[in-house]
Amino acid sequence: MKERVSMVFVEKGQIDVKDGAFVVIDETGVRTHIPVGSIACIMLEPGTRVSHHAVALAARAGTLLVWVGEAGVRLYAAGQPGGARSDRLLYQAKLALDDAARLKVVRKMYEIRFGEKPPERRSVEQLRGIEGARVRKLYQLLAKQAGIEWKGRNYDQTQWDNSDAANRCISAATACLYGISEAAVLAAGYAPAIGFIHTGKPLSFVYDIADLFKFDDIIPHAFKVAAKNYPNPEREVRLMCRDIFRQTKILKKIIPTIEEVLSAGEIELPKPFEEAIAPAIPNTENIGDVGHRS
Amino acid sequence: MLVIVVENVPPRLRGRLAVWLIEIRAGVYVGDLSVKVRDVIWSQIEQGIEDGNAVMAWTTNTESGFDFKTLGKNRRLPVELDGLKLVSFYPVEDDEN
Repeated sequence: MKERVSMVFVEKGQIDVKDGAFVVIDETGVRTHIPVGSIACIMLEPGTRVSHHAVALAARAGTLLVWVGEAGVRLYAAGQPGGARSDRLLYQAKLALDDAARLKVVRKMYEIRFGEKPPERRSVEQLRGIEGARVRKLYQLLAKQAGIEWKGRNYDQTQWDNSDAANRCISAATACLYGISEAAVLAAGYAPAIGFIHTGKPLSFVYDIADLFKFDDIIPHAFKVAAKNYPNPEREVRLMCRDIFRQTKILKKIIPTIEEVLSAGEIELPKPFEEAIAPAIPNTENIGDVGHRS
Repeated sequence: MLVIVVENVPPRLRGRLAVWLIEIRAGVYVGDLSVKVRDVIWSQIEQGIEDGNAVMAWTTNTESGFDFKTLGKNRRLPVELDGLKLVSFYPVEDDEN
């Protein structure tokens, strides 16, 4: 993950494998090679078709394919199946199931986000409330700093065109962040659905992790982009995300942060139980991340 | 790190490039030079390229860790995808039409 380029958006074309290379071919026959193994995630926008062979290659290279809607509003994701590491999954599930451990993880997330320890003796529910209030205030403050009228965060994907520029910029920026966060969660061998603050969504844990980085740079800059009234704000937001990802070296930080947050639960990684039989065919050594199937 | 690849250029230019860089294969030059020298070399290529084509790549602080630019006609042309530079490979033009 850490040496990869963060993301690439593919808008139109047939995605296929030619001579073993991952290519996008447009209607005039122009081929553009994508160095699939050195990219964390490929965002496929409407107008793309992907061949079976290309998906297989992306999976082998450990690259996440994310199907996104217009302007990066999330539709669906696949490419990396995830769940390659049963020990990590069991560890994550144990942390999430144990009330005391979950609270510790949530407190650690709170600490990383706001740079201070949360108040003592609060439940996960109470912390979630405090967090929500702080985030709403933060949005208001950032909007004010950027000189934008702010009527609150509007998540309604069905009313996309009705939402204001600031909301659209934030959605486009968070879509980028969620893409690379999901790629990191999967690469580290964890389950995107088992969240601690967020629950009940297919990407709960991805939202948890992305939230740790969101307000450092991404959201403030998204407001600044929104304030400038660009003709194509989504493109500007993506350029901005790419710059921020590079400057903050976020791809180097995500996986260590995931480990740090989870280790706050103070539970050991499960050891193989005594009667467990090691796999008959040992896993081959590879240079990919632990969560990648190969 | 600086890499220059030239195709179909006059020998004079190739000799000129060999002044600063090492020609590790025919038309492939490698070196490690400053931005200033790089720009001088590029202007030399511009002057001496005639009908040939050239590409220059160097390590820099972009997300991919390098950047490149091209000169002259080639089937491979750089494209920019939301800040990431890739290369498009154009199909052979149909001469019969």
